[in-house]
Amino acid sequence: MYYKFVRLAVVLLISISWSVQCGGDEPKPPSVDFSRQILPILADKCFVCHGPDAEDEDLLRLDSVEGATADLGGYRAIDSEHPQKSQILVRIQSTDEPMPPADAKKQLTEQEKNLITKWLEGGGRYIKHWAYVAPVKKPLPAESGMVIDHWIAAQLADHNVALAEEADRPTLARRVALILTGLPPEPEQLQVFLSDKRPAAYERFVDVLMQSDRYGEHQARYWLDAVRYGDTHGLHLDNRRGIYPYRDWVVRAFNNDLPLNQFITWQLAGDLLPDPSMQQRIATGFVRMNPSTAEGGAIPAEFQAKNNFDRTENLGTVFLGMSLTCARCHNHKYDPVTQNEYYQILAFFNSTAESPMDGNSYTYGSVDKVPSDQAAWNHWQELAAARTNILERASGSIGQTITLSKDDQSKWASSDEKGRLQIIADEKGPFADSPLRSQAADLTQDIEKAEGAFTTTLVAKELPNPRVTRVLTRGEYNLPMGEPIVPDVLAILGGMPDKAPRNRLGLAMWLTGREHPLVARVLVNRIWQRTFGIGLVRTPEDFGLRGQLPTHPELLDWLAVELHDCGWNLKHILRLMVTSRAFKQNSAWRKELSDPENRLWARGPSHRLDAEVLRDIGLWSGGLLDSTMGGEGVKPYQPGGMWFALAHPGSNTKKYVQDKGSRLYRRSLYVYWKRTSPHPMMTLFDAPSRESSCVMRSRTNTPLQSLGLLNETQRVEMARTLAERLLTSAEQDAGRLKLLFLLLASREPSDREAEISMQLVRKMRTRYAASPDDAVQFLSIGEVKRDETLDVVEHAAWTQLSATVLASDIAIMLY
Amino acid sequence: MTLHNPAREYELMLTRRQLFGRTALTLGTGALAGLMQPDLAADTDKSTAGIHHAAKAKHVIYLFMSGGPSHHDMWDYKPKLKEKFGEQLPDEVRDGQRITGMTANQKSGLPLAASKYKFTKHENNDKGVWISELLPHTATVAKELCVVHSTFTEAINHDPAITYIQTGSQIPGRPSLGAWLSYGLGSMNENLPGYVVMHAKTSFAEQSLFNRLWGTGFMPADHQGMLMRSQGDPVLYLSNPRGVSRADRRAQLDALSALNQTSFEQFGDPEMLARIRQHEMAYRMQASVPELMDLSTESKETFELYGESAKTPGTFAACCLNARRLAERGVRNIQIFHRGWDAHGNLPREHESQCKDVDQGCAGLIKDLRRRGMLDDTLVIWGGEFGRTAYCQGKLTAENYGRDHHPRCFTVWMAGGGVKAGITYGRTDDYAYNITDADGVPLATQPNKETWTPGTMHIHDLNATILHLMGIDHERLTYRYQGRDFRLTDVHGHVVHDLIA
Repeated sequence: MYYKFVRLAVVLLISISWSVQCGGDEPKPPSVDFSRQILPILADKCFVCHGPDAEDEDLLRLDSVEGATADLGGYRAIDSEHPQKSQILVRIQSTDEPMPPADAKKQLTEQEKNLITKWLEGGGRYIKHWAYVAPVKKPLPAESGMVIDHWIAAQLADHNVALAEEADRPTLARRVALILTGLPPEPEQLQVFLSDKRPAAYERFVDVLMQSDRYGEHQARYWLDAVRYGDTHGLHLDNRRGIYPYRDWVVRAFNNDLPLNQFITWQLAGDLLPDPSMQQRIATGFVRMNPSTAEGGAIPAEFQAKNNFDRTENLGTVFLGMSLTCARCHNHKYDPVTQNEYYQILAFFNSTAESPMDGNSYTYGSVDKVPSDQAAWNHWQELAAARTNILERASGSIGQTITLSKDDQSKWASSDEKGRLQIIADEKGPFADSPLRSQAADLTQDIEKAEGAFTTTLVAKELPNPRVTRVLTRGEYNLPMGEPIVPDVLAILGGMPDKAPRNRLGLAMWLTGREHPLVARVLVNRIWQRTFGIGLVRTPEDFGLRGQLPTHPELLDWLAVELHDCGWNLKHILRLMVTSRAFKQNSAWRKELSDPENRLWARGPSHRLDAEVLRDIGLWSGGLLDSTMGGEGVKPYQPGGMWFALAHPGSNTKKYVQDKGSRLYRRSLYVYWKRTSPHPMMTLFDAPSRESSCVMRSRTNTPLQSLGLLNETQRVEMARTLAERLLTSAEQDAGRLKLLFLLLASREPSDREAEISMQLVRKMRTRYAASPDDAVQFLSIGEVKRDETLDVVEHAAWTQLSATVLASDIAIMLY
Repeated sequence: MTLHNPAREYELMLTRRQLFGRTALTLGTGALAGLMQPDLAADTDKSTAGIHHAAKAKHVIYLFMSGGPSHHDMWDYKPKLKEKFGEQLPDEVRDGQRITGMTANQKSGLPLAASKYKFTKHENNDKGVWISELLPHTATVAKELCVVHSTFTEAINHDPAITYIQTGSQIPGRPSLGAWLSYGLGSMNENLPGYVVMHAKTSFAEQSLFNRLWGTGFMPADHQGMLMRSQGDPVLYLSNPRGVSRADRRAQLDALSALNQTSFEQFGDPEMLARIRQHEMAYRMQASVPELMDLSTESKETFELYGESAKTPGTFAACCLNARRLAERGVRNIQIFHRGWDAHGNLPREHESQCKDVDQGCAGLIKDLRRRGMLDDTLVIWGGEFGRTAYCQGKLTAENYGRDHHPRCFTVWMAGGGVKAGITYGRTDDYAYNITDADGVPLATQPNKETWTPGTMHIHDLNATILHLMGIDHERLTYRYQGRDFRLTDVHGHVVHDLIA
């Protein structure tokens, strides 16, 4: 009873004091924003009892309009018609029966009480949490140019500042190239852009970048973090897992501009589409991305549950920008997700065919055989096209030059493409005399050869009869309760579309539906985050009641609707962002503005680049980067014994066998990802383990990073080959230095930078001239042989400088 | 644009930290001091200030026995089991306990196997403590030990169990105990990180370890444990490349700092200044770590304490000696992982070797800390992720047997750092299978993580107690992720005050 709201006399009392407080001529109090200021307080301080997980069905609920404004017997917690009569006012001020109760862990501050009071004075309008209401495009004044700039400028105007000046063109070129492709611009490319004085030169430059294969590789990386892509199973033995064709498919999807709604649908339910293509099936690797185990004593039912928890919760983070985890054990404390709903979502995944235990097998569960890398994929596409071509020609000739017997006719009609090709290739078949026959025979051979080189990839497949899903008490696998659960979605986010099947395909239809309030917002926020360095919503993993509000809500919503309107075209959205004036701003912190978090977007981005980009820039600048795409993860240099120190003796990833030759120099996207021990140069610079979803990496700054930047084998090797490039490209120091800065900063060095650099070179020349043996030692690190025609002293001196600039903020920062 | 005001600069950095790490508001002042760069930190010694209350311990050295050491054969003496040799575990003792897939359907059932080892009662500060002949050295420090027989968990397999005890969750993704300590307390030494992890050599590396055990989950990655290795560089990438001297590196860093300074002048991003300091700390580490690893200054007496094997890099004893040296240099949190305790079969052969690996190192560490006056503020913890069964896995003979995983009770000991010295805590039944009350009477219900039962220590209770000793309230050290204020102890954990001196 203590917790129940009480009535009457006190209401009158407070009403009186209200009128006293309000007075008559007081200026109108500044309006309080409910979703920004009030709902977060309610969620933080009140929902623990009066929220989705209320213990008692009769208890007041403050997490919905209906609950908060319900008639509690002559009074209401929040009375929209007579806000000053709201019971909540009484109780938060009460000393006898205070709310929150005196013994509650979280108490309201005076400031919070005042805010609630003010809000009620202002009318006490209770509205749904912003993120659960479908976004709309707020109309813009006719004269406004780019939408992004409009909304950002509008807020800046409130602070009496304008957008910062544009960054200089070289800096901007470097910035946009790094954002879109993860690499600085090629010097020639940069030159074309800088000398292009026509209008829209920048837009053309952006288009060129987006057409590069490097674009898809770079964009894919963020997705792989979110879906926790790894090359191993992740638990216990952490054995190899064959799923890299999925990674390569993601790269292709971005490079081929697959609309994001299809991108989502294929991953969730490619196998459930009518007559799914090979790509659509590969994409379902997403469903199989959960870490798995085959530990000796493990109980299968336990891991059936755990695997599904993982998939359900990953879906929450990746698409809904919210944690569903709380609802695994009980109704969510803050967000309107019931435990029942959690298991409704889980039920979508509880019907996949694989066993809960991975058997430590590379081909765990359902697998498809598919081309093993991008070249093989391209070749396969050519073969498929050739087959289509032959079949079309063959079909066309039937009844013309070719006559089919009755038998052949029915055989032809019932055969698939492969079968028909066999009929054509048959020496004794109806096409025996046609020139098509030998072409078909050759093609059949080529296809068989290509298929012979296929690899396997984990895919999703449905059981004919789905497993029964029940709510698990406290999330304990052995405590199911209640009736079997029918797959369904979260009520707060709108129901499933009409006619949507109750399977993963229906789930995808729901996620990509026009009415879904979250998916597009969550996706554009993450696109913004990788473009501007940080999201409009600073908690990309949480759009719920305790997440941060967008810095520019109208802008986020506009972009989300635009994503739908433009046909889920990622390049379109990215283009809007990178061509905005906001993006082009100078990155310098502004003296006149105190905005360390850049919430106003009054300057361009500045932050340390990701682990992969740091490595790729080095390889690229030193001319080492191998552009081969796709295939099994590569194993560059790694200190000895790192896997062995952790691995189970029975694990097939206990020994790290370093690659040789060009595989040492592939893009970092392709570096082998052992989930229990990823490459140290990745983890050193904040790459996640990929055991669980990561939609925003931390950006730490540690001494160990310094050691890695300056001492790691690959970095020393790249500095050496970069120096070699400098020495062979220019005769004079000035020219060499110019090229160094052109590669890493897309500009010439300043006088001061040149002075610092040359001072180091001179020092190193003297030093290595005194002991050329040291120079030889230094230049022999890494597999690539040094260019012996170069003077070792000069080479070593320039290698030192290259390593230094490669480690400096000039190279490792985005600005 | 320059920022000469250190306080302002610090504020900005902190803001960025909050920005990227979303540091919860509950972070106390001690944690702030820890987060501060040493040169900006207050000059008073805050090392035992704690963040929520005064700390009993400045350092924690966690000797983690991965795989599940057998409490039966080392610590939990059950003479009555001898009479029941080969008999089946009674159902009422099993009391519905789920059993791993390895012994659930064993043909021989669940035959009881008493320890073959001789136990001796050693004097402590209470009623004495039984220790088996496998740990002759550890037995000599019985008066320092707080031996807890009633530690328990729910997990019955390695990966979930070790992830649980180290991160508070059976499913990967959460910050480790060490990361929480680093987040809460920061570092005390400007030349070394605050959290160091070592892997000791073993003959039976039967189970795996995972980066997540010293990782940060959703917390910023700078709270992860730094691996101190016995192969190659002790710290990854510590050594300069061949042909690069310390003077060369100095010249290089001078140029690097000057270049970064120009970037800072151009952009004014305080992160750039912070990085200059990190490069300098790296340079200092290049001197401080070799000095740390150089055992030549250690006396003969010291090696006598730890044993000869302490001279061989990578042995458990060498790791223990390093741990002391690290603590001495202000490193707060040190973990040594020793694998090979997963004795499903041939337990005697394996555990004899395992005990030999660790016994003298453990005792040496405690004696060494004691004689240097460091034990009082250094908490030493010894234990694994679960215990082992009273029944045999595989073939049972008087001389040879194996044991499966057992979650309901296992032994963990602590020493120093504010825990009571020379006591035992918690009691188990005659099968060392279930926790009982102090009189040996079975508990009415199995203890659980929801409500603390006196005399027991759930792994969340253990972690809550460790944090408490370090000056941290486990309910108040939180980190917000996905709208939730996460804790190491989830929504559980109880500080076991009975153990605290």
